[in-house]
Amino acid sequence: MPQVKIIAKNFMDMVSSLPAMKLDKLYENAFICEAILRSLQPLAKKYVLQMLYIDTLVAAKLMEEWVLPDWFSKHRVALDRLLQLRIFTETVDRKKEKMYRINSTFQKNLQKLLVHGEVLPREPMPPNTVRLPSLEDLEAYALAQWEFFLLQLISSNQAERSSSISSAMLKVFKRGLLSQRDKEAPKLTESGFQFLLMDTNAQLWYIIREYISNSEERGVDSADLISFLLELSFHVTGEAYNLNTLNDVQRITIKDLADLGLVKLQQGRKESWFIPTKLVTNLSASLTDSSSRKQGFVVVETNFRMYAYSTSKLLCEILQQFASLEYQLPNLIVSAITKDSIYNAFEKGITADQIISFLQQNAHPRVALRIPSVPENVTDQIRLWESDRNRVEITPAHYYDEFPSREVFEAACDCAREWNGLLWEDSKKMRMVVKAEAHMHVREYLRRQK
Amino acid sequence: MGYGDKGRPNKRLKASAKFENIGEDVYFGEEADDDHRDGEGRQEKQDFSKLELKPDHSNRPLWACGDGRIFLETFSPLYKQAYDFLIAIAEPVCRPESMHEYNLTPHSLYAAVSVGLETETIISVLNKLSKTKLPQEMRDFIEKSTANYGKVKLVLKKNRYLVESPFPEVLNKLLRDEVIGRARITSEGANGRDGFTVSKVIGDIGGGGGHDELLNEAELAAAAEEKETHSFEIDPSQVENVKQRCLPNALNYPMLEEYDFRNDTVNPDLDMELKPQAQPRPYQEKSLSKMFGNGRARSGIIVLPCGAGKSLVGVSAASRIKKSCLCLATNAVSVDQWAFQFKLWSTIRDEQICRFTSDSKERFRGNAGVVVTTYNMVAFGGKRSEESEKIIEEIRNREWGLLLMDEVHVVPAHMFRKVISITKSHCKLGLTATLVREDERITDLNFLIGPKLYEANWLDLVKGGFIANVQCAEVWCPMTKEFFAEYLKKENSKKKQALYVMNPNKFRACEFLIRFHEQQRGDKIIVFADNLFALTEYAMKLRKPMIYGATSHVERTKILQAFKTSRDVNTVFLSKVGDNSIDIPEANVIIQISSHAGSRRQEAQRLGRILRAKGRLQDRMAGGKEEYNAFFYSLVSTDTQEMYYSTKRQQFLIDQGYSFKVITSLPPSDTGADLSYHRLEDQLALLGKVLSAGDDAVGLEQLEEDADDIALHKARYSMKSMSAMSGANGMVYMEYSTGHKGQMKSKPKDPTKRHHLFKKRFG
Repeated sequence: MPQVKIIAKNFMDMVSSLPAMKLDKLYENAFICEAILRSLQPLAKKYVLQMLYIDTLVAAKLMEEWVLPDWFSKHRVALDRLLQLRIFTETVDRKKEKMYRINSTFQKNLQKLLVHGEVLPREPMPPNTVRLPSLEDLEAYALAQWEFFLLQLISSNQAERSSSISSAMLKVFKRGLLSQRDKEAPKLTESGFQFLLMDTNAQLWYIIREYISNSEERGVDSADLISFLLELSFHVTGEAYNLNTLNDVQRITIKDLADLGLVKLQQGRKESWFIPTKLVTNLSASLTDSSSRKQGFVVVETNFRMYAYSTSKLLCEILQQFASLEYQLPNLIVSAITKDSIYNAFEKGITADQIISFLQQNAHPRVALRIPSVPENVTDQIRLWESDRNRVEITPAHYYDEFPSREVFEAACDCAREWNGLLWEDSKKMRMVVKAEAHMHVREYLRRQK
Repeated sequence: MGYGDKGRPNKRLKASAKFENIGEDVYFGEEADDDHRDGEGRQEKQDFSKLELKPDHSNRPLWACGDGRIFLETFSPLYKQAYDFLIAIAEPVCRPESMHEYNLTPHSLYAAVSVGLETETIISVLNKLSKTKLPQEMRDFIEKSTANYGKVKLVLKKNRYLVESPFPEVLNKLLRDEVIGRARITSEGANGRDGFTVSKVIGDIGGGGGHDELLNEAELAAAAEEKETHSFEIDPSQVENVKQRCLPNALNYPMLEEYDFRNDTVNPDLDMELKPQAQPRPYQEKSLSKMFGNGRARSGIIVLPCGAGKSLVGVSAASRIKKSCLCLATNAVSVDQWAFQFKLWSTIRDEQICRFTSDSKERFRGNAGVVVTTYNMVAFGGKRSEESEKIIEEIRNREWGLLLMDEVHVVPAHMFRKVISITKSHCKLGLTATLVREDERITDLNFLIGPKLYEANWLDLVKGGFIANVQCAEVWCPMTKEFFAEYLKKENSKKKQALYVMNPNKFRACEFLIRFHEQQRGDKIIVFADNLFALTEYAMKLRKPMIYGATSHVERTKILQAFKTSRDVNTVFLSKVGDNSIDIPEANVIIQISSHAGSRRQEAQRLGRILRAKGRLQDRMAGGKEEYNAFFYSLVSTDTQEMYYSTKRQQFLIDQGYSFKVITSLPPSDTGADLSYHRLEDQLALLGKVLSAGDDAVGLEQLEEDADDIALHKARYSMKSMSAMSGANGMVYMEYSTGHKGQMKSKPKDPTKRHHLFKKRFG
């Protein structure tokens, strides 16, 4: 994962940061409880199961005895997490002993799950009523939709920016990733470029997180949204679900998600339905682990040429952020990494490390096994370019010359020095450079001298 | 960001736009022909995404674009065949590890045709290898370019010059030209239509070489069929004129020269064979097979990196032709080395080989032999001694079986013209390591010598263990504060170079590297400096031997001998006389402290000094014990012009797949107290010395009157095109003058201004 300013933490962190009220409400949904349980670390999971049928308070001291002293730190971590998620609550009894108890809603839901077994959130439509796409087609659709969506973000051409993307999703982007000045076409911000270089999971998580935290503005309760999103991940990929099983808010949400390729919407003669894609059914899982890597496609050569095995327009745009494209072939993009192109990227706020990790993460299998996968001289050079750029610090300043006399010059120098703004002086030719902050004072001083 | 961003090719294109002709000869190049192919298009991204992919594209190794660019995957199972084919028809642009790029140009196609590939073969093989359907533009281009090439051959048969072609209509067209018509000699034995002599020759098999398997059997059968050729004889005295008329600027039927040496009964045979221990390596075999593809000897150029055994190729060619051979080298040391190589690899007897230089004027006995001499000796226009006049007369009058030319890339084109017009030869073979030239009139070299017959891939040779695996490094030496302050001053503009070369940090880095390699690894080191002032300063301070232009032949030999054999002499300082032809096989480390502006050729040439593989073969092979066995350091002072030049210089090597590692702190910060110029006072003393030296004393070395070294720099200070020679579009680059332009071309007239080292030579 590239070190980026946008910290792509996981879904559960988001959940745990919800206010207590909302969390408690969230646990009314059995699917959330299950999803949360799945997301816990093994030790925390064990504690939940251990407490599943205990209705009373358990002393902290007693719990400490469950672990060997060597593993105490893990015990602490697990407990903290449970407390954070309000699965456990802490109370102090009269003897000032810490006690824990399990959240009763959560407990009841899990008990129910244990007894009745798993139920689907809603029944899929019978297969003979709808024509379902094959799983491959569905996956292709999801990826295409996702790419199309990202392309909207960067395509410099206003005309290409279609209006088919719902405004709610674009709003998510405008917050942070895009900046728009009055009538100009929206431009990518620094974090926008950084976003592009992240891997798909991280990107998806970022969007979902923004989508959730924006929900209140749209009049949607964030807890409702989270619970719906988690619920969705319990649906079966490739099955059709009737839209009329959803409430209004959920229906709007589903439309937004369709823009991202998380679900595919289809319409029959009478009814409409949605088909979850892999992106959504993996939502809770894929957001926490990034192991499900796409196959790499980029070959970087020692002569700074870059060959990307891809047909994707999106990739083309991304590569263009830091390389100059030379050839586009049916399944290959040829580009060159030059000082100019890298400087261009720096200008947009992309860092050397982000570029390098993008190249490394997407290395073509042919070169991925090579160590390093991106030639050392290229990575070194990109870093050197960056450090070269950082060598120069720009300070806005003003230049003074043609002093009437040496006295005035020296007095002006002293004045500038007093304001801690003298950057440079040449006493022989009577010239000096003053920091912008001090300029006003020096000018004022000189005026008074006259 | 944007498409107009200046990538490498764009820069080159810019340079070509500024192409200028300097010199007295009128130049008729192919430049106009090339231009229409790069045009404005390269500024923008080239979009060929509409090309139709074949269903089994993943099994095919290359993409071909409509503008002539070809991309080759080196990991394809068909790579070897595809490489051999591409190298025959296209110019390599860059050949790093995974993906090669080639350019199809009129010149490269000319070369392809001349080794016996036909238009249909080129198109059909290319189509077979291509992942996409071949773009129509490319088909058209190939057809258009090859329409005239290779149709006409000039054959020297039984000492009669014959113009030969399988197409009588082409011959008729040629004859309609006044010059050619007049040059024709009507022979009595004419039997064909139009009075042409008709003969049958076996179709070209060798030229097709490795591509045969790519063609289906029917095509192969057609290629091997006997072909009828028509020919007419021309007057030997008119040969040059006829050739001239056939060049692209006139009739545009450039003639291929072939020498049917087996049937040459007039010129006496030379009894020489390769010794049994001379085992040509696979790539040497391949280059020879291109030359002798159809049983005759073709004229042309073979490109092999230094150290890959060019001399064995030259000696093998001479041993196959077995006629008198004139071998031209660039200087006296290299003449000695060539003579040695002949004796080493072939069974030639001592009295059959002779050297002809200003120092040794030998003559061979018998009616056939090998003469090794320098370009200068042959082309020299001034007065000669009586003795050399006689020898040169002999050279002029003899019909040479083979004209063997070493280092063709460093000899100015006008020198070639002269040499080629003076000597009569049946076959010309040019050898070189780098087809990059810094010379303006190289464009027609293709037609003076012949097309490029073979070019080896550096990385493949490294992997095969045939040449050393070199670790290249660029060492960044920050300027000391005091030196940088002086560097920036306007009044020191002429001393800039001296200042950044004498940068104490650079000196210390150099000293550190010498110590490290001498003491830790026991390596043999060459230090290169173009700047004579720096060369002497460094060599004196470090107490190491040095060789520069004015060093006598005897002294050179002595120093090199000591470097080869003595345990105490492990480092030698060389000025640019060491760039070419001084063979120092022992050296495996190069430290470059100053260089000739942005010359890519010099960089490649210098690297070549350490390419000869050392140690055991199995250690050198890919995956062997030693990762690197040779080291190339280029020391540059940061924030000076040098940084800029350095990037330019490395371009050729980078295109061959080499990579330069940047080292930013040498000597390591915790060491170096024992190195020179550690104290500020010493540094300031050095600065004083640089500043007090005269402007001309700190400039580049001037080799104008050096008898051995061709005035290499004469043509260097201008923008050049080498598109013809390498044939590659966009391979034009800019040579940057250091501001000495005028000064360099003429030697200083005022003797007092002459460098003190040269004074004694003129005094």
